[in-house]
This record gives sequence, C-alpha cells and structure tokens, in this order.
Amino acid sequence: MNKQTKVWLVLSIALSLLALASACSTKTPDTNTPGDTATAAPYSGPTGTVSGVISYEGTPPAPKKIDTAADPVCGQKNPNLATDDTVVKDGKLANTFVYIKDGTVEGGKKVSEYAWSTPTTAVQLDQNGCHYVPHVLGVQVNQKITITNSDATQHNIHPTPKNNPEWNQTQPNGAAPIEKSFNRAEILIPVKCNQHPWMKAYIGVMRTPFFAVSSADGTFEIKGVPPGKYTVVAWREGGVNGTEKTLEVTVPASGAAKADFAFGGAATTSLTPSLKMMPAIEFPMMH
Amino acid sequence: MKGLNRFAILVACATFFLIIAGALVTSHDAGLATEDWPLSNGQVFPKMVGNLFWEHGHRMVATTVGMLTIALLIYIFVKEKRRWVRRLGVFALLAVVAQGLLGGLTVKLLLPLPVSTAHATLAQLFFCITVSLAVFTSRSWIEARPLAHEEKGTLPLRYLCTTALVTIFLQLIIGATLRHSATWDQHLPTELILAHIGGALAVVIALGTATLTVMRRYKGEIFLTRPAMLAMVLLVVQLFLGLAAYMTRLASPNDPQPLNPMIGITVAHVACGALVFVTTIVLTLRTFKVLPASGSALELSRQTSGVVGT
Repeated sequence: MNKQTKVWLVLSIALSLLALASACSTKTPDTNTPGDTATAAPYSGPTGTVSGVISYEGTPPAPKKIDTAADPVCGQKNPNLATDDTVVKDGKLANTFVYIKDGTVEGGKKVSEYAWSTPTTAVQLDQNGCHYVPHVLGVQVNQKITITNSDATQHNIHPTPKNNPEWNQTQPNGAAPIEKSFNRAEILIPVKCNQHPWMKAYIGVMRTPFFAVSSADGTFEIKGVPPGKYTVVAWREGGVNGTEKTLEVTVPASGAAKADFAFGGAATTSLTPSLKMMPAIEFPMMH
Repeated sequence: MKGLNRFAILVACATFFLIIAGALVTSHDAGLATEDWPLSNGQVFPKMVGNLFWEHGHRMVATTVGMLTIALLIYIFVKEKRRWVRRLGVFALLAVVAQGLLGGLTVKLLLPLPVSTAHATLAQLFFCITVSLAVFTSRSWIEARPLAHEEKGTLPLRYLCTTALVTIFLQLIIGATLRHSATWDQHLPTELILAHIGGALAVVIALGTATLTVMRRYKGEIFLTRPAMLAMVLLVVQLFLGLAAYMTRLASPNDPQPLNPMIGITVAHVACGALVFVTTIVLTLRTFKVLPASGSALELSRQTSGVVGT
C-alpha cells in the first residue's frame, strides 16, 4: 500500500502539473488580414465592375427560432425572430461579403499600392426588433459607422475584433446614435449584443472600396475597379472564422468581370470563360 | 458559539449561491451586459431584462455576500477568542473585497482571460475560507480529540488529503480557464479540454487514494469517513456532469442562443466542482485536527481546540 500510494501520488501530481502546463500554453493570433500600409497616390483612370451571384446548393439549414422570453420587448416587436446566418431565396444566398483581396492593376502596380480615400458618408447599423440590420456590412478603414437603437429596450454593441481595439457600449432605448470607426483592415469583425446573445452582425473593414454584400437575390456588384487581375473572395459566416471561396478575375478597361460563387452542400464555384478558378479556401468547419 | 457557527454556515451557503450566480453569468454570456461597474447603466436597480438580469443579479448577490462577510467578521471579533480564527475572518473580508474588484476589472477590461480566470479561482478560494470558518467554529471541531498516531512507515493521511486538495484546486483553475476561453457560440480549445480531462484523472487518483486510505485506516471514525465518502460521491456526480456539460457545450455553437440544458448542466458542473473542493477541505482540515504527525502537532491541536468565547 505504501509504495503503491507513493506511486499514485507522484502520478497524480505529475498529471495535474502536466494538465496545468498545457492549460497555460499560448496560441499565436491569426494575422491573415488585409494590409494597412499607407499608399502613395490615388488611382485615376478607367474603371470596371466585378459582379456576380452567390448561390446556395443543397437544402439550406432551416432558420432557428429565437426565444425572446428574457426581454418581452423583443418578442412583442419581432414575434417570429429567427436566426439569419443562412438567408436563401430561390437558391440565392444573401449576406455574403465579397471583396477584392489582392491584385495587380494594369500597368503593374498592386491595388494596395494606391491610396483609396475614406468615404465621408457613414454606414448605418441599426438594432431593430432585437436584430442587427444589416446583418453583414462593409466599411473602409476609418469610415464612420452610425449605430442606432430603434427598439424600446436597451442594447449593448460589442464588436470582438482581432486587429482593432475591442469595445462594448450600452445604448439605452431613445439614446443618441453612436458613431464609431475601425482603424485597421479586418475580415470580418463579429459584433454581438451581450444583452441579447442571439444578436449578431459582421463588419468587414477594408482599406480599399472594393467590396459588396450580396443582396436578398444573391447578387452583388463591386464598382470602380481599375482594370487588372484580382483575387476576389466571397466570405460567409459559419465555422471558426467564416467560410471563404476564392476566384481570380480579370477586369477589362471600362468593362465588367463576373464572379459567381456557390456555397452549401457540395457546392463548386462556377466560372465564366474569362475567369480562372483557384482552389477554394475552406476553413475548418466545426459543425 | 453555536450562533457564530450557524452564521458562518449561512455565509458559506450564500457564497455557494454566489458561485452559482457567477456561473450563470458566464453561461449566459452576460458578463458584459452593461459597460458600467459597479452600477449597471448608472443605476443601482436597473430594469432587469435580457442578460442584465444575470449580470446585475450576480452583483446583488455579491453585495449581499460582502455585507454578510463584514457581519461575520464583527461576529467573530465579538465571540471568538482564537486569534487565528479572527485573522482568518479578516482574510475572508480581504478576499471578498479583492473578488469584487476583480469582478469590476473583468467588466472594465472586457473579460480578459487571465482576469476572468483569476475571478473564478478567487471565488473558489473565498468559498474555501468561509467553509473553513464554519468548520473551525463548529462543535465537532472544538470537541474533536486526536486519534492514535498513524503507523510508522505509512504515508500520513494528512499528506494524501493535501495532495488531493491541491490537485482539485489545480483542476479548478484549468476548468475556469477552459470555461472563460470561449463563449457559448465558440468551440472550446482542444488542448484545454484535454488538460481538464487529464486533471479529472489526477483528481480521481488523488481523492480516490485519500478516501480509500480513510476507509481502511479509520473505518469507524465518521469525523473523517463522512467527508471522505461525501467527497467521493460528489466526485462521481461531478464526472457525469462533466461529460454531460461537454456534450451540451459541443453542440452549443450551432444553437441560436445559450440554451437551458447547456446552461443548467454547465452551472451544475461548476457548483459540484466547488462542493468537491470544499468537502475535501473539510476532510483535510479534520485530518490535520485529529491526526497529529508529531508532538508539536499534537500541541498545536490542543491549542486550537478548546478556546471558546461563549
């Protein structure tokens, strides 16, 4: 017993120390986000567009009903509140963030080497029916976001970025709009409300103006794109950091390029003849 | 003295309730339901809707426990003559104040993992102090007399119990780190889950060894066998709760919001973990009380047993 007890003792202490050491191990943060380097000169010249349709192949997951009993105001205003992570209509997917990740403008300069001015108009994010509207939005670095509360209850807006400062601000009903901006590019910042844990939104912060969010019919259009060859990414929520699909497109001078993406089931990304397919980047799904 | 003991038990029970209230805040992801601290949205009694119910409710329970701790300290200074018990009472007050400040820091610093983990760990330590005060002021503690010396050459039971206690405490820290490393809609880090499972195995071995030793050496001594058996039963329950908590938590990121099965089972796992910890504390303290290892320990035991203020 004595010897055995000692062996067990040493074993248990060693195990717990091992467990503690493992618990204290650190993780390298993900830094795979668009660059922030300052650029020299603004682009001036002909521009084209990148447009396309986001499809959803297979049967989309049914929206899940949200229990709003914790705050009756939410249930009164929005009795059919449900999840909006996969909004599909006629096989077309809304709320997909599409952006030009990188590329070379005709003439050889990288798109990131130009200066892209920050719009002076603010982007709206409303809390309406205990629900963020829009669900996915894009802004440029330092562009203002005006956050409003249209509900008769209080919310708190809590973005959880990796490359920008995190903040958490309460907004009671009737309070003045909150104005915020992000000073570093980041794909995409989750926004939550710790008052109502089902409330989620995503903000894409870009250094360039080349982004769009697919509308209810799955279409998107990125305007003002200089002619050149670009990597276009479509991002949608789900998985650890969202799910991405990538395409390479060539935008002709004053012309249009098409980039159609497909998500869901066994989706494959469709291509027009002018497009060259790149291997899709699938982030590990945890579902 | 009976009144003091009852009051100490009340504070310990209130602390247990506080731990449950804190666990509910974490499971509901309500820690940042308000940006404000110590008030909630600038009010002492805000409208308790949404997750503010859990966060502000936790603050109200914490305030009550703080008040009770102050009252307990006064009670101890009035009734208790043992200087070290008085010191422990002061320590309890310092711990509850520190715990409140840590709680404030978690809100102001947006729940950084080290601060949240420290807050959860100090909660367990504070619970340990309040339970210890209840033990030290109890009649059974005061009247307990040393048992026969343990056989020479055997590993002292007090060391076995201390090992179990330290192992459980380390496991609680790992559990707190695991719990605060991801919110309900994120997946828990695999390395921490494995660490927690490894910790559970270590606890089973350490506490199992201590309990078996108690049952073998002191079969008829309920002063020791009762907490030992209780700790083991709680540990078995805790293992099942841990498994259930893992299963519900695994599904949680796909849920639209934190759901009651996940919340209930996870909170029960936290609460049961706290009970395993304090039951082992009771067992350990009692072994130190009745199983003196040497002449000096016997002397210490005499000193700590009989000084009563009433």
